[in-house]
Amino acid sequence: MIATMLLAQTNVTWHMLPLALAISLVYSASRYELPEYILVRALRLFLQIVGFMGGAFLVLWVLTYGL
Amino acid sequence: MSLPSPSSHPRPWEEKSSFIAGILAYLVPGAGHLFQGRTAKGLIYLFSILGLFFWGQKMGEGMVVYNLPEKGSVLKYVSLSYAAQLGAGASALPAFLQNRRAANPSNHVIRIPSHPMVEQFEGHLVPADKDTEGVLVGTLRVEPVEGGEFRGTFEGTLDGKPAKLNLGGSRFELDPAIKAGFRREIICGIADSVAAFPTKVIEGTIPRPFKDAYASPPDADQLQEINGRLGKTYELAMVFTWIAGLLNVLAIWDCVLGPAYGFGDEHLKAKSNEGSNSPQAAKSSPTPSAPVSTSSSAPSTISTPPTQNEGSPPKSSV
Repeated sequence: MIATMLLAQTNVTWHMLPLALAISLVYSASRYELPEYILVRALRLFLQIVGFMGGAFLVLWVLTYGL
Repeated sequence: MSLPSPSSHPRPWEEKSSFIAGILAYLVPGAGHLFQGRTAKGLIYLFSILGLFFWGQKMGEGMVVYNLPEKGSVLKYVSLSYAAQLGAGASALPAFLQNRRAANPSNHVIRIPSHPMVEQFEGHLVPADKDTEGVLVGTLRVEPVEGGEFRGTFEGTLDGKPAKLNLGGSRFELDPAIKAGFRREIICGIADSVAAFPTKVIEGTIPRPFKDAYASPPDADQLQEINGRLGKTYELAMVFTWIAGLLNVLAIWDCVLGPAYGFGDEHLKAKSNEGSNSPQAAKSSPTPSAPVSTSSSAPSTISTPPTQNEGSPPKSSV
């Protein structure tokens, strides 16, 4: 957590990680009742969000390479 | 992982008043779940939603949550931004009141102090050409005098060295009491050096009480300043509070009506029904009155809960 906050001071994009985590937790908690399943689903959703963002970053990075 | 049988789960959202739970869930995210005894979910909502909300407030230096309805907007009494934040409950509600307090005609720039004031001051000594001459930190004392003027003193440090200034005259400006930001801008003329430095003033800020600053609307200058200084960080701070408010809608729904897809282990029930030689058993809902969906094609292990219902309406609900 502290490492994340330190990173957040250097680049605002790092704020997306705790944001994605909170969204994953709340969304999964609203879908399921048992904590075990909430955590598993939240982790999966978090990875999906971060993966999607990473993919978008990669595409933009490639498209702007050399500019 | 050991889990109770799917059919043995209690349904806490049906055991206590859903009205009270819903109100609590709105006012404090997670409180409705804690009221129902759903501690784990309550804590998830509490820390996730309020964490987002207050982190956004911190990032935006307290100028993120406010209500400034725009003329001609779809919503008459709230701005669209505030409508999203309003979902966060009691943390956002004060903006309604603060908007009214700030719009009161008595809340204006003060030219002469109405009563003696003693405040901690941080600012600068400013000469006529407006270039900062030195950093001032210390205690400011001002009081009104006859003739529409004021007098007072500053005691503290000027660029780290002890300093005392006598203040007075007619040059006095103090920000409105109710306004965004936890610092209140103030300008005071210097009294006993009028002959030598006729236009010298001290310019800085004094603390603004929490009750006057929290969720109060900023003015155009403040918004321009903070947007210019924080840039994307300020926008992200707004987004944090919007998302927090909208996420609480999910939490309230869950508190009143239960989880959208069920407990999460319905596939275990379906599997056990399949094993009991009843081809139709797997299609029956294990939780009769909840908006729960089940499927006969559910995964076979606990660590991989069913995914086929994600993003689609439940196949069966009773």
